[in-house]
Amino acid sequence: MGTMTMHSVTHSRWWMPAFSFVLGLLVLAAFWAGGDPVSGLWGLGVMTAVAALFLFGGRSETLAGLGGPGRDERWVAIDMRATAASGLVVITVLIAAFLWEVGHGRDGSPYGQLCALAGVVYITAVAIQRWRG
Amino acid sequence: MHNDVRLLRDTAGLSQGQLATAMGVSRQTINSIETGRYTPSLPLAISLARYFDRSVEEIFHGDHDDA
Repeated sequence: MGTMTMHSVTHSRWWMPAFSFVLGLLVLAAFWAGGDPVSGLWGLGVMTAVAALFLFGGRSETLAGLGGPGRDERWVAIDMRATAASGLVVITVLIAAFLWEVGHGRDGSPYGQLCALAGVVYITAVAIQRWRG
Repeated sequence: MHNDVRLLRDTAGLSQGQLATAMGVSRQTINSIETGRYTPSLPLAISLARYFDRSVEEIFHGDHDDA
């Protein structure tokens, strides 16, 4: 039996479709537990459509790159920049939301905690990356 | 950073897809390298140089290099 590495799993054409579908099932389970299975089914439907898009997306380089099998070193660089950009936007929104909440007499939850988490994770990641060289 | 990858590929009679397969990257990555939109990693630059039997500096030129 062959050894499956994480790299071979995430570069498989089945990785993103399976991930999307499982995420849809988790959304369904969460809505169901919250007493709203109809919204959960809608969520599952959307995530199943996303999974199908990845699976049957044809020759699109973007879908192949996002999906896994088309990833080479250029895609890794693109993914890193895109992740950094999305993280920057999320952190900016979190800070703005925290300031808004505090400015309206509330304690800033949960935005303050999320800002703190982002800061700690960033500093930890920088320290680890610096240590690894 | 500019390079001679397209010239060398054309001289060798290869398509972008064929060179991409030989290098283990996508055709779009070869296209991006040739057009200067993507600077390859050192391992990929070395692989390209070895493939065309050149040195890295014979293929890739800094913006302030002579020649």
